[in-house]
Amino acid sequence: MILRAVEDADLIRKARRGDVEAYNLLISRWERRVYNYLLRIVANREDALDLSQDVFLKAYQNLRKLDDPARFAPWLYRIAHNEAYSLFRKRRPEGETEELQPEAMEGAATVGGNAVFPVELTLAVSGALGRLTADQRETVILKIYQGFKFEEIAEIVAAPVSTVKSRLYTALDLLKTELAPVKARGAS
Amino acid sequence: MSCSPFDLRDYYFKDLAENERRLTEVHVKTCAHCREELERLRGAEAALLALPDEEIPQRIGFVSDPVFQPSAFRRGWDALWGSSARLGFASAAMLSAALVVFSLTRPVPQFIAPAPALTRAGMQAEMQTDFSKRLNDAVAKAVAESETRQARQTRELLAASETRHALETQAMMVRVQEYLDVEKKRMNTLILASNDAASVNKDTR
Repeated sequence: MILRAVEDADLIRKARRGDVEAYNLLISRWERRVYNYLLRIVANREDALDLSQDVFLKAYQNLRKLDDPARFAPWLYRIAHNEAYSLFRKRRPEGETEELQPEAMEGAATVGGNAVFPVELTLAVSGALGRLTADQRETVILKIYQGFKFEEIAEIVAAPVSTVKSRLYTALDLLKTELAPVKARGAS
Repeated sequence: MSCSPFDLRDYYFKDLAENERRLTEVHVKTCAHCREELERLRGAEAALLALPDEEIPQRIGFVSDPVFQPSAFRRGWDALWGSSARLGFASAAMLSAALVVFSLTRPVPQFIAPAPALTRAGMQAEMQTDFSKRLNDAVAKAVAESETRQARQTRELLAASETRHALETQAMMVRVQEYLDVEKKRMNTLILASNDAASVNKDTR
């Protein structure tokens, strides 16, 4: 466990009083995680970076609305979630009423045609994630990669805990089937 | 279908109460099917975690810009609000003030449109508009104050001039009256002298 000399809550209090350097330190602690969360949702580096910048700007502008500094992480990811889905809505073709979907993730997350994770297993994982629904994929990302509790995920995606669990377990059932052969080859 | 007394996936993600977790643990030890199911869950999670995190291509940071900093009033207010010792007093004072203001004004409820999400460009445009508005207001206010000051000075000068003119006229009238009085006395003296001379000539003849 890494002991931090200054806790996030202290940095938040300082940032609320206008200490930009304290906020920059807070960003440095969270930017990589938020960027990877967004990257796995939108599957595009440029979009993920732009969204990350918007997320931290909005978080700074609304920092005083955060009631409990200890709840900073789910609050920050809630902003990130809203930003990502706002992007999906902007890019949705007019008249389309079906479930919002991020960019296609067939094969792998790509930037200009180049694979982001060019290893067989990671390609397979990336492809399998891409075949989930947007909600299922986000739940898997928040639980498996980001390590949030079910209650926190429910807060981030604004859905009941039962719905969150349902999405995750359905997704895992699909992933177990899809990834079992690849995992077996990787282990051998 | 799992034969576990509780959902194996809840057990795997440590989302069971302590007694439920113990019961499931006991069951798993004796049930090969459930152990295989748990193994598949572990395998799926391990495969997912093979997807590595990326480094962010460009670090995010903000410069210390007074525009983005709260005002001195806001900082002071936050400091006061953050002080638990003064929190009670501040809350009571605010509540009292709010009650007084509300009872005196009773504003008509109005719909307030939510503020649109701001981008950096939007913020800059808004700040530019706000700055221009403030500048125009300040110029208009300064011009109005200057005009008011000029008008007041003109009125004061006119009043002083009129007063001085009235005093000078009055003084001149006094001098004219004195001159006329002197002339009148001189004429009377001359008339009396003439009369005296005429009577002396008559007596001599």
